[in-house]
Amino acid sequence: MSEKTILVADDESHILHVVSLKLRNAGFRVLTARDGQEALEMAQQNHPDLLITDYHMPQLSGLELCQRLKQDTKTNDIPAIMLTARGYHLEPSDTEQSGILRMLSKPFSPRHLLTTVNEVLEGKAA
Amino acid sequence: MRRGRLLIIVSIGLTIAGLLCIPFVVAQAKAVGFAGTILLLLASTAGIMNTLCTRRELHALIKQVQDAAAKKQVCRIDAISKDFIPLADAINDLLSSSAQTVSDATLRAKELEIQLKVATAERQHAEAIIYSISDAVLVTDPFDDLVLANESAARTFDFDLARAGRSPVEQVLKDDKVIALIREMRQSNSASGRRIVEHSVKGANGAERTFKITLSCVADKQDQNPAGVVAVLHDMTKEKEVAEMKNDFVSNVSHELRTPLASIKAYIEMLIDGEADDEKTKTEFYEVIQNEANRLSRLIDNILNISRIESGLVKINKQSQSLTVIMKEALEVIAPQAKGKQITLSEQLTPVFYQTIADRDMLYQAVLNLLSNAVKYTPEGGAITVQTEVNEAKKKVMARISDTGVGIPPKDLPFVFDKFYRVEANSRMAKGTGLGLSLVKHIIETVHHGRIFVESTQGKGSTFGFELDLAE
Repeated sequence: MSEKTILVADDESHILHVVSLKLRNAGFRVLTARDGQEALEMAQQNHPDLLITDYHMPQLSGLELCQRLKQDTKTNDIPAIMLTARGYHLEPSDTEQSGILRMLSKPFSPRHLLTTVNEVLEGKAA
Repeated sequence: MRRGRLLIIVSIGLTIAGLLCIPFVVAQAKAVGFAGTILLLLASTAGIMNTLCTRRELHALIKQVQDAAAKKQVCRIDAISKDFIPLADAINDLLSSSAQTVSDATLRAKELEIQLKVATAERQHAEAIIYSISDAVLVTDPFDDLVLANESAARTFDFDLARAGRSPVEQVLKDDKVIALIREMRQSNSASGRRIVEHSVKGANGAERTFKITLSCVADKQDQNPAGVVAVLHDMTKEKEVAEMKNDFVSNVSHELRTPLASIKAYIEMLIDGEADDEKTKTEFYEVIQNEANRLSRLIDNILNISRIESGLVKINKQSQSLTVIMKEALEVIAPQAKGKQITLSEQLTPVFYQTIADRDMLYQAVLNLLSNAVKYTPEGGAITVQTEVNEAKKKVMARISDTGVGIPPKDLPFVFDKFYRVEANSRMAKGTGLGLSLVKHIIETVHHGRIFVESTQGKGSTFGFELDLAE
């Protein structure tokens, strides 16, 4: 199995760091972005296998980022996992319009995040 | 009276008979002429006497009636002769029954006058109550005409109260929904019915206000038919705003609590799972946990302090303090965050022997909040300068915290110290509860009777500062 690339977007540097480390230790290639705009550009350039994004971010929110990726035929196949500290509930329309397959609430368990990442990449979450 | 009439008839008869005898006086003067002449004279005299007597009686009666009318009193009318007693009696009866009728009518008029006064007073009382109500009140009749409204209603629907009386409701109110509600209520015919509806009304200035409208049918006491509708509009705009602010506050606080908690939980789990394999990484993790725990603690302190200061429950411990020392302590705490964003921290602080009377913990909290904001709203690579100045002549000490951050739009500047207020343009730059600056203002102005200020240029940076009294 070739090395999968995961793009992680969060404006909280500690979260970005801990998620990246957990994923790298699990054998993934990790790209990081500090805001929505940077994440959008990185996704367009690198076409990651998965996007893990925070909801509330400067420049472009996590939801807007996912919607923009979904609208672009070059990036509309990138699945997304959203991490949020807001009590946001995933609606079926979110999946259709934004490609968000899972929603994890902060505080989260890196262990549980890794399990979710594997499930999404194996196509179990769809 | 009848006898008088008989006398007149008899005298007229005798006069005619006398006149008929005149030819005989001429022709047969000696035979019957003399007797006829006597008869004629007697009859004429009796007739004249009778007419004179009747006129006198009538004049006397008329005079008495006129006198009574002039005095506006009911007097008894007396007849001089027996013949006129029935006439006088009839007049007396008539006068007395008229007087009774007038007296009854006067009494009734007085009763009605009192009733009218009572009704007027009651109406004025009811109107005064309605006018004094801060809610808008509209009262309509069964024809949907506006019969009563108060000042608040006139303001809400922008109509002239003085001109609105008895006008069809659709001419006075420009709000179709409210007109429809009044009509529906009246048509519903439910004397005891009540309906509560929430509705937004656009005011004269274009601002929309939300009202809770309570509509009731007023029934006629006698026939129980609906006599009209009373609509009371309670302005809920402020209540809704407060509720929204509370919701936003809870949502913001929960977000702010979750963020450091997320880091703490994740880093601890990573340590437990052995994901940090070398000592350097482990130390780094412990530091993150410590910093995030401090951040959490600061947030909780902010929330509690603001609530304590506002409720007046806070225990204030004022002692001689050096503002410079407090600034240095706060700088040490904020330095890791500034370093994380490659922000340069520089200080221009006065010697520590300048003292101010202050609650150390609170003043430290205020300085830390200002510094924390400066770091939050300054992009990576920026600079923050911390200054203290002493004005010995005015016996004042001033603190300034200047940054090269995003700045605050002029329209937001007057409100930045308001509780829950967040500058929308900068909301994506950093997360916050809208409590930090409000707490600083409370600490400086409420607790220390100082002065807080802000200067800002959007895109260039902000300077937050405060001035306190120098200790003697």
